[in-house]
Amino acid sequence: MDNNLKIIEALLFATPDPINQVVINKIFPKNPPDLKKMVLSLNTIYKEQSHSFQIIPISGGFQLVSLEEFEHYIRLMLSNSDKLTLSSAAMDTLSIIAYKQPISRYEIEAIRGVDSSGVIKTLLNKKLIAIKGRDSGPGRPLLYHTSKAFLEYFGLNHLSDLPKLKEVNEILESDTTLGQQIEAFNDISKSENDSNNK
Amino acid sequence: MSYQVHINNFKGPLDLLLYFIKRDELDIYDIPIAEITKEFIKVIDTWKQMNLVVAGEFIDMASILMRVKVRMMLPKQIVDDDGEFVDPRTELVQRLIEYKRYTDGADMLKSLAEKRSHVFTRKYVEVIDSEKNNDLVQVLSDLTLYDLAKMFKDALENRPVMTPFELNREKISLDQQKEFIFKHFDGDGRLKFSNLLNRLESRVQIIVTFLAILELVRDGTCSLKQLENFSDIELILINKGN
Repeated sequence: MDNNLKIIEALLFATPDPINQVVINKIFPKNPPDLKKMVLSLNTIYKEQSHSFQIIPISGGFQLVSLEEFEHYIRLMLSNSDKLTLSSAAMDTLSIIAYKQPISRYEIEAIRGVDSSGVIKTLLNKKLIAIKGRDSGPGRPLLYHTSKAFLEYFGLNHLSDLPKLKEVNEILESDTTLGQQIEAFNDISKSENDSNNK
Repeated sequence: MSYQVHINNFKGPLDLLLYFIKRDELDIYDIPIAEITKEFIKVIDTWKQMNLVVAGEFIDMASILMRVKVRMMLPKQIVDDDGEFVDPRTELVQRLIEYKRYTDGADMLKSLAEKRSHVFTRKYVEVIDSEKNNDLVQVLSDLTLYDLAKMFKDALENRPVMTPFELNREKISLDQQKEFIFKHFDGDGRLKFSNLLNRLESRVQIIVTFLAILELVRDGTCSLKQLENFSDIELILINKGN
């Protein structure tokens, strides 16, 4: 194994946080190796020698993680208490912040229809969201955005990796009990329009 | 009610409305406002009867539903700037759909987190730095038994001071207050309640006097009379001889 490759492996081994190219550039002031290429060759070695871990891209960097098939044994070793759990209200709020960031509390509450200050506090405490600044609008409310820990927790590399929200008609199609097609609506409003014109 | 719609199962009024729409397989674009309003208010009333604290948001939604219902009943239809017919329900429907989009988003996030939870990362364990360790030994070596004893003495002296205070128990008996009441009846065996109150000083005195009055009424020695709401109450002595 080439020496740089070994160094990078050691770095990945020693850190709990994802490593990105910026970190590598700091460590190698001259001719920093390309992290992506290094990770690729390391992963190939791990696969060939059938190791129980791999390097995955996450939160804009790379991280050494165990393979899924060993989850059972690792869970037996760890206490489950350090597992982060979120209430469904917290998940809804996090979803709104993730897709509409930066966003103020009032905008979140307008969508949820309920007071959300408690849930926001919880999310801040769990470091899944952070305060980005203040809105320039009236009242200068605080604006929230998702953190790096958010990306890590959901296994995302970038925010652009978030699954696309369903479009309105997709929601209606996927959930037939939630009403019929938009055409039905158009028909109704048309017929009502007609009856008005009469 | 054959089913239980419990308050804890709903994250808010929008959630409750979506539940109705789903349960009754309603067309979200053609919500029967009158029925759903009735149903919504019925559920809130049930919660109130169960002494649950119903959040203001639910009451707010009930008023929105009623406003939409009223606007649906207006003979004159509302039209927008382009002369197009405006369904009074549109705003509510848009809110419901917007809400549904993000709760669906939350479900997607949940499955992402689930997927991620199968792999584990390394955790950082701070190893005690040998240099720092030396410093700690240095600090400890300077401490003598005297220092410890002095610190203990200081700690004892700086304890927060407790100021004791006394609660005086007032000894007032029911019989004593009964006597007190009897003393104040006028010649006709009548006594105004306000008249009695004016002569009482402490809270305990008032309470025991009040209990004494109740006791006297219960055993038939006295009766109470009030001519109208909030007027003075009169005690009337019942002459047992008659």
